[in-house]
Amino acid sequence: MKPQSHIQKMLGVFFAVSLILAACATPAPTSAPATSAPAATVAPAATSAPAATAVPAGPKKGGKVTLAVWQSPVTLNGLLGTQTVMNVVLNLVTEGMTEVQPDGTRVAALAKEVPTVQNGGVSADGKTITYKLKEKLVFSDGKPVECEDFKYSWQAIMTPNVGIVSTTGYSSIDTIDCPDPATVVVKYKAFFAPYLTLFNGSDLIPRSAGDPKGMKDWAHNRKPVGAGPFTIEEWKTDEFIRLKRNDKYREAGKPLLDEVVVRIVPSSEVAMQLLASGEVDIMWNNTEADTPQLEKMAGVKISAPLQIGGERLFLNMAENKDPSDPKKPHAILSDVKVRQAIAFGINKQRIIEKLLNNKAKPGSSELNAGYFECKSIQAYPYDAAKAKSLLDEAGWKPGADGIRVKDGNKLRLKYSTTSGNKLREDSQVLVVEDMKAIGIDMFIENAPSSVVIGTWDGGSPRRHGNFDIIMYTTNAGIDPHSQMVNLWSSANIPSVDNKGGLNYTRFNDPKADALLKQASGEPDPAKRRDMYCQLAQMTYDQANMIYLYQRSAIDSYRDKVLGFTSNAWSNTAYNAKEWSLK
Amino acid sequence: MGKYILRRLLQAIPLVILISMTVFLLMNLIPGGPLAAYESPGITPEDLERLKHELGLDVPLHIQYWNWLSAIIRGNWGTSIVSGRPVLTEITERIFNTLYLSIVAFIGSLLISIPLGVTSATRQYSKIDNLATTIAFFGQSIPIFWMGLILIIIFNVMIKNPNTGGPLLPGGGMSTIGSDFSFEDRLKHLILPASVLIFFNLGTHVRYTRSGMLDVLHQDYIRTAHAKGLNKRTVILKHALRNSLLPLITIIGLELPGLFNGALITETIFSWPGMGRLFFNSIDRADYSVMMGVLLMNAILIVLSGLLTDIVYGFLNPRIRFD
Repeated sequence: MKPQSHIQKMLGVFFAVSLILAACATPAPTSAPATSAPAATVAPAATSAPAATAVPAGPKKGGKVTLAVWQSPVTLNGLLGTQTVMNVVLNLVTEGMTEVQPDGTRVAALAKEVPTVQNGGVSADGKTITYKLKEKLVFSDGKPVECEDFKYSWQAIMTPNVGIVSTTGYSSIDTIDCPDPATVVVKYKAFFAPYLTLFNGSDLIPRSAGDPKGMKDWAHNRKPVGAGPFTIEEWKTDEFIRLKRNDKYREAGKPLLDEVVVRIVPSSEVAMQLLASGEVDIMWNNTEADTPQLEKMAGVKISAPLQIGGERLFLNMAENKDPSDPKKPHAILSDVKVRQAIAFGINKQRIIEKLLNNKAKPGSSELNAGYFECKSIQAYPYDAAKAKSLLDEAGWKPGADGIRVKDGNKLRLKYSTTSGNKLREDSQVLVVEDMKAIGIDMFIENAPSSVVIGTWDGGSPRRHGNFDIIMYTTNAGIDPHSQMVNLWSSANIPSVDNKGGLNYTRFNDPKADALLKQASGEPDPAKRRDMYCQLAQMTYDQANMIYLYQRSAIDSYRDKVLGFTSNAWSNTAYNAKEWSLK
Repeated sequence: MGKYILRRLLQAIPLVILISMTVFLLMNLIPGGPLAAYESPGITPEDLERLKHELGLDVPLHIQYWNWLSAIIRGNWGTSIVSGRPVLTEITERIFNTLYLSIVAFIGSLLISIPLGVTSATRQYSKIDNLATTIAFFGQSIPIFWMGLILIIIFNVMIKNPNTGGPLLPGGGMSTIGSDFSFEDRLKHLILPASVLIFFNLGTHVRYTRSGMLDVLHQDYIRTAHAKGLNKRTVILKHALRNSLLPLITIIGLELPGLFNGALITETIFSWPGMGRLFFNSIDRADYSVMMGVLLMNAILIVLSGLLTDIVYGFLNPRIRFD
């Protein structure tokens, strides 16, 4: 019987160890508040209420919703991070002057109204913006939201050596004046076109956060305080963030839910399983490839508004050398007819059908959604015959092997994108097929994204200019100003002296520069929209950027969650105050 | 003995420094760097230049390395480039979660595989031997991610708990979010990930126990023990087992640092907040200081576990001397 007793002893040790470990791994189990008890069981009230007592119609209050995200936030200080997932959480916690609706228009949040030239909020030269705050605003900790908080936030952003990610816009501010606690007067040094994008939530930090010089150690980074509908109760790194209703929220009766749990899972596959089993109610950030499976899941719905921007081909108009001289034209791609032929020759619809489950739209221009949408521009139609005749006109005649030739040179182009991205690599194959059909030989040469979209010093070809065609995704954001300047201003052509330049197609047109300069001083958004639209039309005609497709922002949720809509301009949690349970 | 350990430890210091230097260089050879993550239309080139300076990435490599080394010697592991939190905080936050899972799985595997391996060797080519080698074979060949996903589909999606109607076992995480500590809840969350790891470990452990035992069973002294008239059980457990464990001990020694590293794939599938994910995420974000911290910890653990294995050898086999 000896061996058995050995095994029994070892088993005993095993369980003892696992017990100890289980206890170790929860350093402070007692801190979990017991009050959050069975929030999910509040249902009876509404359903069993006798018909006699007139229950007001409308969404039910209370309950808990679990949102799965498959990226782990590293910080919740919006000034120190760029992660999308960070903004999802911050959207639950913070609110700013204005917010963007799903259609791309702005509505006032903490401000009484969106400042415009007409209502006096924007000065004639566009340099002074005056916001009036709503009455009696407070942060979730009960402290008032005042002009001083905005001023403090600006000063915090301008603090050197604390790792602020972006000072764009804030560095153009000259002063912030506080004539009274409810009036914020922002004076810019020079006109800053996208002024409405500042002070919109995660960049509003309460004065109580601490000394900006010590920002790296702020408690705020893990437990931000804001004026939004929910407040953070507990954040367990890589596990979950638990948020409770902010009882001091400015809108009476909102938010409807008592609790939101952001569950951090390691991959989207895991999130899909949890959505299927009902362990989570909402899943953040799906791809088109998920949709067939999601559509089969019982009780699961999909929300998929179109996003601005999208996948595009950058055609290099300057010579293909390392580093290239932007004044010397590209041997093949400097000819507008060749570029247009490529644009006509790509069957975008086929890519969308085959690779994106029909959940995308053919790409048209930089301004393809929102307030600044340039509606007059339609995507290049697929027209192989037209493409061929354009190439004929350009002097490229079909050779013996079907590939076109001119002056003894073959029409052969290098086509690069980030390696390891299946959608990109598959779409490359389709584009190469389309090109072959019109007599262009494209060969694929991909590199890791850190190289393709890297820096000058990292040897990125898009910066050095030693490429023919590079493909990736970018977008203009809610206010396209900086994107338009980055992509089309001749001052932004990258070179040894301008390593950070972003005009990768080497587009150089004085008319474009003049339009951009004019837009930089135009306080009326409607007029700016016209200018950008003119510029987009110019680049459409030049076809130096070929927009492949425009994708949707896809989220999925269980149908027991009511009031859920995605907002391609914001994120999954933008209207969390309206969410309720069935 | 004490002298031997001291000498080995002293020898380890230049080795660890050399490892850290190599790792630092390799890390910097990865294209991109920590700032690549910040590149987006909203971030201007000026912002990137400023960040580069603030993060100390604009000085030459050897100075960056020296800054790191001199801080480490003073006990400062640095702060994460991405989250701004101390590297030690990032590590300690996860290391107990990882140890909790990996030690349970490790001990669980040994508890199953040693008896199984011994039985399998003493009854070579019997049904139980065939079964054990088949299990070991499957354990080694089935990919962990597949096994994990299948277990989730079966126990989380397909089979429901008859009392609550919810999933039978949770599909991930260490405990139910927002609930108080409960042993049952912890155990439920542990079952699936630990099973996957145990199954995977079984493969190695059973094979080494079995082959070690087979080796020893054919030795003369075992025949002598049998000839003395000792009963079979005593021969196997007292005489054979101890010697047969040497190869397994080597393997266990090599696996020890792995207990701290975390099982990346298992942690990923079961949303386990452990070291594997910390390391993976830090590579993904090119968070140099966290990567260096984790790798340094690893280097030290590997050196220590090598030493430990050598010492345990001496106890198991007195013929091995330390001088």
